[in-house]
Amino acid sequence: MAIVTLQNVTYKYPLTEAPVLQNVNLQVNEGEFVAVIGPNGAGKSTLCYTLAGFVPHFFKGELTGIVEVAGVETHQSSLNEWVLNVGLAFQNPFNQISGAKYTVFEEIAFGLENIGVPRGEMKPRVEKALALTGISDLADRSPYSLSGGQQQRVALTSILVMEPKVLVLDEPTSQMDPIGTREVFGVIRTMAERGMTVVLAEHKVEWIAAFADRVVALKDGQVLLDGKPGEVLTSPLLEEAGFGISRYTSTARKAKEMGLWKKDQLPVTLEEAVEGFRS
Amino acid sequence: MLDKIKKDFNTMTWVLIPVAIAINVVMGEIVVQLKLPVYLDSIGTVLVGALCGPWAGALTGTLSNIIWGLAIDPNAFPWWPVAFFIGYMSGRMANWGFFKSWWKVVVTGFVVALTAAIVSTPISVYLYGGITASGSSFITAYLLQTGQGILSAVLSTGFLVEPVDKITTSMLAFAIVQGLSTRFLARFPRPENVSTEKGGKTELFIAVAVVVVLVLFAAFMLRNILGG
Amino acid sequence: MHERLSFYVHRDSPLHRLNPLTKLTMVFAFILLSFGSPWYWTPHILIVLVILPLSFIGRVQREYLLTAARLIFPAAGFLFLMQSLFQPIGQTVWFRWWVLEVTHEAVAFAFVNAARIIVMVSSFTLLLLTTHPSELMSDLTRRGLPSQFAYVIISTLQIIPQMQAKAQTIIAAQRSRGLDTQSSFVKRVGALVPLVGPLVFGSLVEVEERAIAIEARGFTSSHAKTSLREIPDSRFDQILRGALIVSVLLAFVSRLWLS
Ligand SMILES: Nc1ncnc2c1ncn2[C@@H]1O[C@H](COP(=O)(O)OP(=O)(O)OP(=O)(O)O)[C@@H](O)[C@H]1O
Ligand SMILES: [Mg+2]
Repeated sequence: MAIVTLQNVTYKYPLTEAPVLQNVNLQVNEGEFVAVIGPNGAGKSTLCYTLAGFVPHFFKGELTGIVEVAGVETHQSSLNEWVLNVGLAFQNPFNQISGAKYTVFEEIAFGLENIGVPRGEMKPRVEKALALTGISDLADRSPYSLSGGQQQRVALTSILVMEPKVLVLDEPTSQMDPIGTREVFGVIRTMAERGMTVVLAEHKVEWIAAFADRVVALKDGQVLLDGKPGEVLTSPLLEEAGFGISRYTSTARKAKEMGLWKKDQLPVTLEEAVEGFRS
Repeated sequence: MLDKIKKDFNTMTWVLIPVAIAINVVMGEIVVQLKLPVYLDSIGTVLVGALCGPWAGALTGTLSNIIWGLAIDPNAFPWWPVAFFIGYMSGRMANWGFFKSWWKVVVTGFVVALTAAIVSTPISVYLYGGITASGSSFITAYLLQTGQGILSAVLSTGFLVEPVDKITTSMLAFAIVQGLSTRFLARFPRPENVSTEKGGKTELFIAVAVVVVLVLFAAFMLRNILGG
Repeated sequence: MHERLSFYVHRDSPLHRLNPLTKLTMVFAFILLSFGSPWYWTPHILIVLVILPLSFIGRVQREYLLTAARLIFPAAGFLFLMQSLFQPIGQTVWFRWWVLEVTHEAVAFAFVNAARIIVMVSSFTLLLLTTHPSELMSDLTRRGLPSQFAYVIISTLQIIPQMQAKAQTIIAAQRSRGLDTQSSFVKRVGALVPLVGPLVFGSLVEVEERAIAIEARGFTSSHAKTSLREIPDSRFDQILRGALIVSVLLAFVSRLWLS
């Protein structure tokens, strides 16, 4: 069942001429993990803001078409109700620290305090969230004293703890090393399996291939491709349109031209490439 | 009325205020370190006043003053009403359209300075008997020696000292606004307050000239008063 | 300066355990008493017999006395000197020097004023030394202070040291290029320019994303807020607050009575 529906969505920021999203149609099912890829300026962040309600409620501007999450239309709702259903974490972790709290534990409880979760419920929820993202040991540290990667985990945890129906993430692992990225993608995967819907804007295509259920390729504010990671990420259209693609895909494509790659399906991850060359 | 005020306090306002207070405090400290003859400790206050209206400006000023008093100079404490009105007045002036070009900003600075001088007078007179812990009290002391009444001595001192600082402060706040993008400014409650009218370079020169003249005038008066 | 914005000293003492509102009431009561009491020696007595012992009860005497020596007494001392020398009141001249006249009345006035400043700042200092800012803010929010105020206060306390550190780095860089306080006026004004760039603009552009981040976490939610911290408010606290308020009222009434 679709929990997120975008129908003919077109959006213009205030004081600008050209629309940043054009006729976007998108449906996301409950518990699905959808990745959004696209070159710089394609509109990924804008799409995330739209799903999270900040377009149009915070950014104003001109939004036409239908944006519906959990049966509510964005124009019929207000931001403070919207955020109860949709959680948003984004790229720059430093700016996501609220500043109102002295420890990581309190920082993560901040959202729960705001939406009036009783104290007795708060502590276990925070502890659970901390354990899930693997930062229980940071609980008493100041959020400002952490590394960029750790701060990104705090930002993600701060949203996860609010248990939104839909989780929107805009490049949430930009400051993490490969190990951290794998762990965080693992957490996101787990959340999706538990029924949380996830929309993730991301450049790291190899990780998307390994973890996401579906990929949407965005170009100049329009949906270029929408389908299974294996299909979308290896489509020849991507390279032409200036997307960053996996080096394993491009290598295998060359190999295929030379007759060295036998399978129909091109690889995205190292594992797939190794396996394909073996056979 | 209350609803109108509430509108001025959106999330951008609440997030801007701490940054503005920090700008006040840090700029104020730097100016002391560099031994410049101004305070410049209300740039953030004026900025909030212009972008978010008088009450947000007033709140910023008041909190700034309290924190300054706790962390840097305890003698600053009793002066919070002055900071309150600096913020309030700069917001009022901006609402009236006086934060849109250089010369208008000079007018704003001047009005803010007069307000500051007037509000500080009763505090100075009733709490301190006219002599405070500020350097400008030397001027007051001199005026008192020449036989002026306490009220007029304190008020004259204020009129002499405040304009240079407050006009410079307002101009710096305006320069900062000029450096921010319209799309960013549009998030604040009152972007129309700072939508710049054209006028540009010549106006800037006139504005700077006014400040220079004021500085010279103040220096001249000071020499006359203290040396005479 | 840097460490001074986190005044709080984590210790266990009767003063630490008092409810934050009780301590806040105490601060305002002391200030009002020192200004409103008809008796000349009130502020002095408060300093010696109340505030000083309280710093020991709160086990923060070391920190308090350090702050007093570094900040409070110099400021009060300066005020005392200015007022003794320049205050044009009084007939009982103690001595004359140049154009200055030091009178008994001026010194008496200066002495009480300085003491009032000391009471004011000392009581705030004690409050902050023994109360965690989050605790104070949680308690006040629970009692009806809009939670945005708590946000502003705590956020400010955290941003200032960060910005000070940034500013000092920039100034140090400029020092190494030959700027000092003996430099010409123009040069010193010029030093302000590179500060405004990274410092002011840098911190301003962060505002938008931070606003988004806290909105995403229900900052403007219309639900009644709850608090992670539980802050006890004992019977003793309530009685103490009542007593403080009564004492202030008594002081003002007796002042009116006597005048
Ligand atoms: N607040 C705004 N006002 C006006 N235009 C904006 C605003 N934010 C973004 N844009 C414009 O919208 C377009 C899409 O931006 P967006 O940030 O959504 O792209 P993106 O795909 O997230 O890019 P990146 O990979 O760099 O994060 C860009 O051309 C950008 O300049
Ligand atoms: Mg983006």
